[in-house]
Amino acid sequence: MKFKIKREDLLKPLQIVLGAVERKQTLPILSNILLSTKTHFLVLAATDMEVEMQAKVTLTEPAEPGEITIPARKMMDICRTLSAENHLEFSISQHQLLLKSGRSRFSLSTLPASEFPKVEEIPGDIEFNIKNKELRYLLESVNFAVAQQDVRNYLNGMLLEINTNTLKTVATDGHRLALSVISAEQEFHKKGQFIIPRKGITEMLRLLEDPEKTSTLTLTQNHLKMVVDQYTFTSKFIDARFPDYERVIPKNVDKEITLERDVLKDALTRVSVLSNEKYRGIRLQFRADLFVISANNPENEEAEEEIPVSYSGEEFDIGFNVSYLLEALAALPEGKVKLSLMGVGGSLLIESLTDPNNIHVVMPMRL
Amino acid sequence: MNDFDPSEVWSRAIILVDMNAFFASVEQLDNPALRGRPVVVTNGEEGSCIITSSYEARAYGIKTGMRLREAKKLCPQLIRCSGRSKRYSEISKRIMAALHTITPDVEVFSVDEAFLDVTGCQRLHGHPIKIAQMTQKIVYDVSGLPCSVGLSGDKTTAKYAAELKKPNGFTVIHPAEAKKILEPVPVNMLCGIGKGTTRFLAQHGVYTCGDMQKLPISVLAKRFGNLGRRIWAMCQGADPDPVSTVVNPPKSMSHSKVLPPGTRDREVILTYLMHMSEKLASRMRRHQLQAQEYEITLRLKSGDKIQEGLKLIAPSHDGRELFNLAESVVKNHWRKQVVSLVRIVALDPQPMNQQLDFLVETNPKREAINKAVDAINNAYGDFTISPARLLKKSKTPDVISPAWKPKGPRETV
Repeated sequence: MKFKIKREDLLKPLQIVLGAVERKQTLPILSNILLSTKTHFLVLAATDMEVEMQAKVTLTEPAEPGEITIPARKMMDICRTLSAENHLEFSISQHQLLLKSGRSRFSLSTLPASEFPKVEEIPGDIEFNIKNKELRYLLESVNFAVAQQDVRNYLNGMLLEINTNTLKTVATDGHRLALSVISAEQEFHKKGQFIIPRKGITEMLRLLEDPEKTSTLTLTQNHLKMVVDQYTFTSKFIDARFPDYERVIPKNVDKEITLERDVLKDALTRVSVLSNEKYRGIRLQFRADLFVISANNPENEEAEEEIPVSYSGEEFDIGFNVSYLLEALAALPEGKVKLSLMGVGGSLLIESLTDPNNIHVVMPMRL
Repeated sequence: MNDFDPSEVWSRAIILVDMNAFFASVEQLDNPALRGRPVVVTNGEEGSCIITSSYEARAYGIKTGMRLREAKKLCPQLIRCSGRSKRYSEISKRIMAALHTITPDVEVFSVDEAFLDVTGCQRLHGHPIKIAQMTQKIVYDVSGLPCSVGLSGDKTTAKYAAELKKPNGFTVIHPAEAKKILEPVPVNMLCGIGKGTTRFLAQHGVYTCGDMQKLPISVLAKRFGNLGRRIWAMCQGADPDPVSTVVNPPKSMSHSKVLPPGTRDREVILTYLMHMSEKLASRMRRHQLQAQEYEITLRLKSGDKIQEGLKLIAPSHDGRELFNLAESVVKNHWRKQVVSLVRIVALDPQPMNQQLDFLVETNPKREAINKAVDAINNAYGDFTISPARLLKKSKTPDVISPAWKPKGPRETV
């Protein structure tokens, strides 16, 4: 294998591919990056056995075909600071990868490409194109609610649900739930529910930088493949059933208030300063035409904010983890938001009046 | 020492009360036949390690931590008592309550020691020396037990003072003289300066508290952070540490028990684990706490240990759920090794049912059972009713923890 490439052509793909490499690895091959060349292009690939990222780079000068794996981070750290002026020249000699650029020379250890775990290609059941802007919306508006290392493995990922003409994402950690939906540009013949693992979502978002471009998604029983430009990303699905989220969304709400997102957000942020640092509990008081937010902490400090609203229902108090409320509000666009509940002790539904397609539900906390 | 200007007001006045040979003194109090005789306390009938010894026993050179057999060689007429943790805890609570009648600023340092900040009650009670004398008398009045009292302007000096005269000692180090009096004292005589710190200080030429003046405070701060700054100040008779009345919520709660020598019987190990699970769970329920993560340890005779941290779906304080975790550790990791001790730790206990969860179904039946079990055991004593396996539980008594406090989750034996 032998090839020549400009530093700029290599750096960005290398950075993207590196995202799939876990910092700590038990299997040495997984901290390596796969380089394979055909005459006119180079393919970089990395995997952690759950996700795989591939980048294809066109070469301006013909290469000698071949493939090899080399330590990913070392490669990145070297390329990052090499001079942009000179080409990088790669070749193999006695199981070492030689890298020359100007007056710099490096020889890196290698492992054979045959040891690199390959993701098997399975023909997809569902294939569709989607604007990066829309996919980004689906992922970003619920991503924060994905559980972290929960015992219930199916919560450590995001549900992607395909219906006849909608695409929906849902995430929950049991304490709060976020849901977003868009209408698809095409009709789907198959319905399906897939759980994308947390890391998969992070890597997908990295590929969605340009909102105007389009991604191609292919879904199989256990894999997702996403192609954007020169990149191909593959992720396994979490093999489990996602809980019945519909059950969690309050249906017949009978109490509601409407207020400006930013007014609420700022008030919550100020009150949160004096909430219990660990449990972050705050009290919401629904009063006649008044919404009161208050908190206190073990140091006996107190905060209270009053916001005039239109409300004439039953007066009651309810507690929430303020971080959950703030994260939900941050996912919603500016403008008016509606808070509603069914009964006085149930979960809180948070919706935006400007964007009906993203909703949030937060379970209360006992005060 | 007892001559003082009654109109003088100290800018800080801290008293340390130290119960002399506490457990042994309680035994002598409850059994007059033991008074004036060498008495040691061990953990139960089988305990071979001395927990406390009376002053009569100490005269023979007997020390805490010594094996009973060695002690008997020094003093053949030695009397051994089985420790009664519940009784000690009860008397301690009575003493701590009495101390609160002097000032609300009481820090319970351990089951037999407490700091009092009496700075703010000099107008009410008079000169600090008078308050200290009153303290010693009140302790004797409510418990019938001797204590040593140290009085100074900071915690470390007060504690050092109390150590000087025992039993029934009374030592005052005037705050203005504290720095001078501590000067020739070796640093490791102060409470809180352990082996590691002593070694570090020796490397920097500091052997006595007086040597500390030569060392810039930044050297200690760099190595030990804020604790280092405190050490620097306390060697100069100016420990800034306040008498702390708040008992922080526990970061973890645990119970452990030593197994009979040579145990490699699965059933015995499981019984001990269930005993600890139930004990920990009922203590959490008593204080309305729950935990989601637990650490289960089997210490092996070889010196190794099997240890695993496990997480439940939701926070719990049901002994059965804890035991299931413990059982899974035995199943997955134990390979017939000899086990010497089992421990279950609840990590980060939190107020119960705080954050509600959409997906977790509560189990009203288990909750009702636990409630009934707790009610029965509260009325008739711990483990009056328990899972049947615990009919075979160990009878060795409970040990009092160094983190014991008169109320809250740390009030346990």
